[in-house]
Amino acid sequence: MAEAGIWIFGEQARGRILPVTWELLTRGRALADKRGSRLTAVVFGAQLDRADLQEAIERGADRVLACEAPLLEHFLPEPYAACLMHLIREESPEILLGAASSTGRTLMPYVAIKADTGLTADCTELDIETQTGLLLQTRPAIGGNIMATIKTPQHRPQMATVRPHSTPPAPRQPGRVGEIVVRRAPPEALTSRVRRRGFRPAADENALAEASRIVCVGRGIKKGEHVALGRRLARALDAALGGTRDVVDRGWLEYPAQIGLSGKTVTPRLYIGLGVSGSIQHLAGMQTAEAIVAINTDPDAMIFKVADFGIVGDLFEVVPALIKHLEER
Amino acid sequence: MKILIPIKQVPETNAVRMDEATGTMIREGVDAIINPLDLYALELGLRLRERAGGEVVALTMGPPRAIEALREAVAMGADHAVLLSDKAFAGSDTWATSLALAAAIRKLAPYDLIICGERATDGDTGQVGPGIAAWLDLPLISYVAGVSELTPRMIQARRLVEEGYEDLEMDLPGLITVVKEAAAPRLPTLRGKQRARRLNIPVWGPDDLGLTATQRGLVGSPTRVVKIFRPKISRQAHLVKAPDAAAAARAAQELAAWLASRHLLPAAAASRAGQEVGHG
Amino acid sequence: MPLPMSVPHGPPGPAAVAVGSTAAAGATAAHVAARPPAYQPVTPALLDELRGIVGPAHVIAGDPEKLEAYSHDEIAEPEYARMPECVVRPGSAAEIAAIMKLANRERVPVTPRGAGSGLSGGAVPVHGGIVLLTDRLNKVLEFDRANLTITVEPGVITNEINPLVREAGLFFAGYPMSLESCSVGGNVAENAGGGKAVKYGVTGRYVTGLELVTPTGEIVTLGGKLSKDVTGYNLIQLMVGSEGTLGIFTKITLKLMPLPKASADLLVLFPSAESAIAAVPRIIAGGGILPTALEFMDRTSFMAACEYLNETLDYQQAGAMLLITVDGATATEVEAAYEAVGEQCLQGGALEVYVADNHTTSERVWKIRRNIAEAFKVRSPRQSLEDIVVPIAAIPAMVTGLLEIARKWDIEIPCYGHAGDGNLHATPVMNPAWTDAEWHDRLPRILEEIFTLTARLGGTLSGEHGIGHKRLAWMPLFCSPAHLEMMRAIKLALDPHLILNPGKIIPPPAA
Repeated sequence: MAEAGIWIFGEQARGRILPVTWELLTRGRALADKRGSRLTAVVFGAQLDRADLQEAIERGADRVLACEAPLLEHFLPEPYAACLMHLIREESPEILLGAASSTGRTLMPYVAIKADTGLTADCTELDIETQTGLLLQTRPAIGGNIMATIKTPQHRPQMATVRPHSTPPAPRQPGRVGEIVVRRAPPEALTSRVRRRGFRPAADENALAEASRIVCVGRGIKKGEHVALGRRLARALDAALGGTRDVVDRGWLEYPAQIGLSGKTVTPRLYIGLGVSGSIQHLAGMQTAEAIVAINTDPDAMIFKVADFGIVGDLFEVVPALIKHLEER
Repeated sequence: MKILIPIKQVPETNAVRMDEATGTMIREGVDAIINPLDLYALELGLRLRERAGGEVVALTMGPPRAIEALREAVAMGADHAVLLSDKAFAGSDTWATSLALAAAIRKLAPYDLIICGERATDGDTGQVGPGIAAWLDLPLISYVAGVSELTPRMIQARRLVEEGYEDLEMDLPGLITVVKEAAAPRLPTLRGKQRARRLNIPVWGPDDLGLTATQRGLVGSPTRVVKIFRPKISRQAHLVKAPDAAAAARAAQELAAWLASRHLLPAAAASRAGQEVGHG
Repeated sequence: MPLPMSVPHGPPGPAAVAVGSTAAAGATAAHVAARPPAYQPVTPALLDELRGIVGPAHVIAGDPEKLEAYSHDEIAEPEYARMPECVVRPGSAAEIAAIMKLANRERVPVTPRGAGSGLSGGAVPVHGGIVLLTDRLNKVLEFDRANLTITVEPGVITNEINPLVREAGLFFAGYPMSLESCSVGGNVAENAGGGKAVKYGVTGRYVTGLELVTPTGEIVTLGGKLSKDVTGYNLIQLMVGSEGTLGIFTKITLKLMPLPKASADLLVLFPSAESAIAAVPRIIAGGGILPTALEFMDRTSFMAACEYLNETLDYQQAGAMLLITVDGATATEVEAAYEAVGEQCLQGGALEVYVADNHTTSERVWKIRRNIAEAFKVRSPRQSLEDIVVPIAAIPAMVTGLLEIARKWDIEIPCYGHAGDGNLHATPVMNPAWTDAEWHDRLPRILEEIFTLTARLGGTLSGEHGIGHKRLAWMPLFCSPAHLEMMRAIKLALDPHLILNPGKIIPPPAA
């Protein structure tokens, strides 16, 4: 059964497959093994690196299904959706997973409607229900204090986006074999009413979404100038710098650095909150981090409730000392 | 130019307190407000109207009290508003919600631009905006951080992605979803409030939208919530008190050691911190 | 004949109340540092007796680190602090009475202290001695639904009352800005005001009954659950606002009000302070509405706060702002009220009237008002939070005068506060280029100019923070010698040995 099996939608930039794809392979492999079905990695681009396609096999895909066309060089909703719909119609996959990235969170809901099926956003756990074989899609809801498990009983494919960093990348197994199919994009994927005119890379900060370590500054930093202290710590830790909504509202950091319900949801290995009180809207954006450290003068700050290591003290005393420990011999 | 803004009424999360025993939100007495990201959509819509002329129509699907969110939108400057409200809509997932909104938008045609908040702070899916675009077969730009140009046939926008900003151009009619940078929202004014109170806001149900029983509410929703549970966050914070500079220095050293022992430091810093505090 | 305050055991006080002299604040500070010879130190024997009264666990002595916390209130400047010799934490009125009798016998001063959130040094033991903490008296004794009262001990935190009575549709209208940390006893002792005083008045209005320990150690009950009471002198209202100099409260009965179920805030931009203030009587008389809050922010204040908050509203053209809250039983009632208020403002030349009627927008407009002090703290390490009151119509003249004083001294003096009752927190902010020494040298002269202007405009020294020892030196500017004499006579009548919180409110007679 399940000939069309389980698909993951991989992401690429400049022809190179992005690491989030390897995380999706971890998810997909586990589901495929439990379901006893084949795992296919779908990836679109203008000209894809063939070694990367092979790597996808080594990291757990049974098959790579690649479509190439000049218009697929960068993500654009219409050609990407048309191309993906074409493949879905051809093969009727049972499950389709994408990343909860700017691409996945745009493409997947668009495709879900076109495919007339349901979609669960930003899942942190995925499983197969033993009796029914259905995909169990679990995601944080209502600010992250509740988890909801969602099923798509009737419609196919069962679609979900997966929170980046919520699982490790699939390991490489050299010598693992599989099928690599590279196709031309279908004709309906060759037009777009949206055109890409240019690109401006993010200023200086290590991008939050990709970072495995994050230093986050909150109200307790008190002044815009003091954000520099957070930046120094971030540099010492090779971490990205983020901020709470309050800090961004005050213009002390730019919006792309905002962590929380109305900003980014992050799942780094390490999160360090400096003067972050931990409002519900902020906790929702960071509490799935692997390790949480909080430094705050207020012992009652909510952030200590989700922290692994807390220092009740003045960040202006603790952080310089910490930087010294990290930088000095 | 006719600009449509689908909005959502959400609980005010900042006012929400947690029930420590059950870990759930205490929603009682909590205000319902316009989803914060929808305010950016509304503000951007109002500014584009001020630049290009035309009208802004706010619409929402929700219980009867969601009309408050529409009146607030009108008080901020929207010209008209439409409420989609009916018991049959209850339990809609993003598929059914985007279908109902798309059907209402069809009824409001012709239109030039639809602006949605990137996501709602309660559901946090971000699926309704792209879903509406798909139902209406419209081009789409998500995560819009700013609009640089708008003509009757085309919009130029900056899209926030992980690595930076894309500059995109889209034919109209089309749909964009916006993030915070798009525009800082204004406050409702007295004159706006007065107009909002007088304005007749039509309420449309499934029949007005031509939706069949299988296309709406829980019945029309492909997804089912099968289980709700509390996450097992077994975090037990190791708390260090640092009331003065000396204690802060000790706490910092302890933290560095802890980070090193958990292998949370980058390679270079790890070896330094490890050496210093005697961890491997 | 002036009553000689320093005889027989009184503190000498400032040698001369040097209003007009540059040494005024310095004199106060120097004075509070010195122990008047008439008071006796806290001896080991006395400590033993105190331990016998309250239990050994409830006496703090000999540990400067622990005592330090009781040497100051919320005033940041260290020169207003003074270390106590010991702190006692009694658990009952009887224990307090015993402590007062002992202190009278031993001639040791006693300074009562609630939560320590005061802003005038009222809880600072300026002559050392005993600090008497009321924090163990923290029980809600009775919520009487039938009589619409609640009776509490003084150590109950003000913010704890409303959750208890909300379900019954009631609330306690006392609303100091520090309500999350201050205690009811302190509120009554300071007659705290706050943001809702325009409509609801200040704390004293809600105090119908008091049990207190007199300075000589008697336990007295005044009033009860009565809304009317002219049975003799109104001693309750004498005690209210007495800053812990006339008695220590042990039970407080408060009147409760119907809980307003809806409210809305208007942020109103005016071209000038004059137009903003002219709108106040229009709102109340013309609009027929008594707002819950009617806050004024001059341009210096709101510009700093808005810049600090990165507020994007179009405020650049405004010369002053009013922040007005109206409340009522229903949303409809509130809508009608804010409409009436808003129309009056527009007719009075308002540039714009913003309406905030949900938590998010309400928070946004109140953030501006609440962050003024914070915005200036970021600019300069030192400021002197003042609490003057002027007749409402004199506010524009006050604002203009403050601008002149600020210009002359090259500092900023944001002026904001409760326009509805003329209570302005004019706050000189140190020029960051100055040294601390320059600030301490100049501040008394700056304050003298501010207070002289305040007095000239028919105003007074403090509206809700109190005199304590912070403002002691300026009392003669606002109170006539006869007025001060009356207060001295009352103090001496109730506290012949000047044991209870000496060195506060009443300056010693001029030489």
